This record gives sequence, C-alpha cells and structure tokens, in this order.
Amino acid sequence: MKVTVCIGSSCHLKGSRQVVERLQTLVAENNLKEQVELSGKFCMGNCQNGVCVTVDDALFSVSPDTVDDFFKTNILAAL
Amino acid sequence: MNNLCTDIGYQSVNKFGEQLCGDRVEIIDQSDENHVVVLADGLGSGVKANILSTLTSKIISTMMANGMSLENCVETIAATLPICEMRKVAYSTFTIVRTIDNREAEIIQYDNPQLILLRDGKNYDYPKTAMEIGGKTIYKSKIELHENDFMVFTSDGAIWAGIGSAMNFGWERDQIIEFLEKMYNPEFTAKTMSALLLDECCRLYGGKPGDDTTVCTVKIRERRSVNLMLGPPRDPKDVNKMMSLFFAKEGKHIVCGGTTSTLAGEFLGKPVETLLDYIDPEVPPIAKIEGVDLVTEGVITLSRVLEQAKGYRDADAIYAEWNVKEDGASLISRLLVDEATDINFFVGRAINPAHQNPNLPITFNIKMHLVEELSELLKTIGKRVKVSYF
Repeated sequence: MKVTVCIGSSCHLKGSRQVVERLQTLVAENNLKEQVELSGKFCMGNCQNGVCVTVDDALFSVSPDTVDDFFKTNILAAL
Repeated sequence: MNNLCTDIGYQSVNKFGEQLCGDRVEIIDQSDENHVVVLADGLGSGVKANILSTLTSKIISTMMANGMSLENCVETIAATLPICEMRKVAYSTFTIVRTIDNREAEIIQYDNPQLILLRDGKNYDYPKTAMEIGGKTIYKSKIELHENDFMVFTSDGAIWAGIGSAMNFGWERDQIIEFLEKMYNPEFTAKTMSALLLDECCRLYGGKPGDDTTVCTVKIRERRSVNLMLGPPRDPKDVNKMMSLFFAKEGKHIVCGGTTSTLAGEFLGKPVETLLDYIDPEVPPIAKIEGVDLVTEGVITLSRVLEQAKGYRDADAIYAEWNVKEDGASLISRLLVDEATDINFFVGRAINPAHQNPNLPITFNIKMHLVEELSELLKTIGKRVKVSYF
C-alpha cells in the first residue's frame, strides 16, 4: 500500500508535518513498514481540502486531529 | 573580459559608547571589472572623526573614479579637511584599493595598518614603493591578482584590539595574519572574512571596543551563475519555452514550487521524488529530480530565504544557522548568498487556482512581491540579478 502526503505550500500550512510525523509513528508502532510505503508529494491540486493524502489512488482529506482515525479506518482496516 | 569578479565586503563596530563610526568605507563600481574601494579612518572618534573620514573617502573615491591622479587627490584632501581645534591637524588615514579588470590591483596606503594579501590561503608579500606627497609618506603597490586572492585591510582599531587586557601590545600584524591563515576558506565571501576578523577583534576588546574598528575585504573570485525557477508560466503553452530557456542556462538550477517541479520533472522525463525529512519544522521537505541541483517547495521556503538573506546583509550573525543546515531554505540561501555571483530568476505568473481562496494565506501577490524583494536584496549584497517573467 502506498500512502502519499501532500507537502505543498498550503497543506504545509495546514499541518502536513504533523500528519507525516504521526503517520510515521503509527506505521512504526504497528510494524507496518514492510506493508505501507509512506511518501510525500508537492501539491496535489486540491489545496482547499488539505491536508491531502492518497492511499493508493484514493484521495482523502486529513488534519492533524483526524490522523489517528484516518489511520485506523483507511490504512489498518484496508490492509 | 574574463571569468573573474570582485567581491567586496566590510563591517565596522563603533568605539564603545559612541553612536557614530569614525571609519568609513566608500565603494565605487566603475563597471563590473573596475572598482575603487576607500577605507578612511578619521582622527579621534565620534562626530569629528565621522566627518573627516566621510569627506576623505568621498573625495578620494570620486576623484579616483574619474581618473584624477593620486597626487591631486591627496592635495585636495589636505586642502579641504577641517582642522581639528584640539590637535591642530586635519587628518584622516586611508587605504585605497583599485581593481582593474579583476586582474590587477593598485593599492595606496597612508598610515592605516598594512593591507594583508592572502594568496592560496597564505600571506603574500607584495612590493611597495614609498612616495612623498604634500609631506605625507604614502605607499603604493601595483600587483597582479589571482583567483581567490583576499585583500584584507583594516582601520587601526583592529591592531589595538586587546591592548592592556587580552595582550600587552594589542595584536600585531603577524598575529592577524596567523588568524586569517588559520580561518581561511576559499569559499568565504568577502563579507564573511571581514566579519570573522572583526568578531575576533571585538572578542579581544572584551566586547567594548577602545576604538572604531573596521575590516574590509576585497576578494577575487570566479563568476558563478545560479538559476532559480518559481511558478508555472501564465500561459500553459509557454511551459516548454520556459523550461528550455531555464535548463539551457549555465550554472546550478533550483526549482521551487510544487506544480513547477512537477512540470520540470515532465520536461526532463524524470520522476520527482519528494523526501519526507523535516529538518526544520517550518520548512517543507525538499525533493529530488535527476538533472536539477535542488528542488523545494515555493513560497514558504523562499520567505525563509528572504529572512536569511536579510540576516546576512545586516550581519546579525556570522555563523548563521543557514550556513550549516540542510533544509530547503538554507540550501537555497547558501547557493544564492555564498556561491552565486550571477542569479537568474525565472518567474512564472500563473495563478494557482487552488491558492485563490480567502482561507489560504498564499496569494499571487505575495509570490510576486517575494521575488521582487529578494532580487532587490540580493543586488544590495553585490549580486548581478536578472528576473525574467513568463
């Protein structure tokens, strides 16, 4: 599974770093490094709904507050 | 015309408790290849010294730049300077460095500590001829310059540093040379070199300089271009034109901005690999595209670059954080401030529809303003800047 977080200008201002760091921690805690590939991407062209995150090809809108729920529903459950 | 250029940087501190500096540096660029730099040190300190040194440096630099002979300049100064009530002399010492074609230097010294020439990091003894003009002994030298020559000259405040406190007799020329040789790095800019020596003088003075102290460095270096692209062109049809022109430029290439880097990747037929390392929490991570020296986010990173360049201009700190850090903004600052002599900005004027939202703090105007401010600032620190809009 490939999870990509937008680190473009507006998503950065909306908290990409917190989202990235939290996802990195969660992936490590759940020993999913083999299964989940985390990566970044500059601007996905959907800035209004930042922070933009894609799981494979599906686009999600995540914020630092919702990242834990997002991880459970869209990453853990989908594996 | 050769591939060399002259980098001039200086810095002063005032005598402890004084509000005005009695030293004055005046620089006249006659063209890109010829420069006249005058460092004058007025007698005494405060207002009087400030007026003496300002007059001296202004008169000499203007007259020299207009091709007047040295004799003429010195006579004019002697006749013009107001005479000090207390000491009954009109007096300001000076050092003049005139570079011709970035290949040759004419050095004229009157009573300032002798100019130090570092060649390949070692002190180089250059010949001097003494001459008598209007009762003053003046030393004149004509030398050929090499790449990475540093000419470092100071007001006498530098050699009195530490007198009576850190050392018995201040530090002498030999010790200054030793210090410079030890600190030498060919990558230093003239300003960094000056700041390093001045900082050491202040340290020896225990933070309370006993005299106005000025250090000026003239460095001969190779011209180097750095090209920076920000934003896609207003008309999407121009993408290829903008990219071709940008990548055809000699020198290093920096691509800033998300959409822009995607377009650059497409143009080069290489993937954009975004890294996820937050070296600085405030600055978005950088990316990699084969064939591009540096890929970063746009507006946030460049705002930081602007702050860092301002810090360099105002010399808040010599060893600023950006000298060593590896985040996108620091990497750009090092390329623009330290490495480049010529900077080409390629600015695309496309409006990012995703950014035109009242909830987002990034607007088109901010981006344009940022480029203007940054290019003006880089000009003031001696860079040759060209901005092209697409």
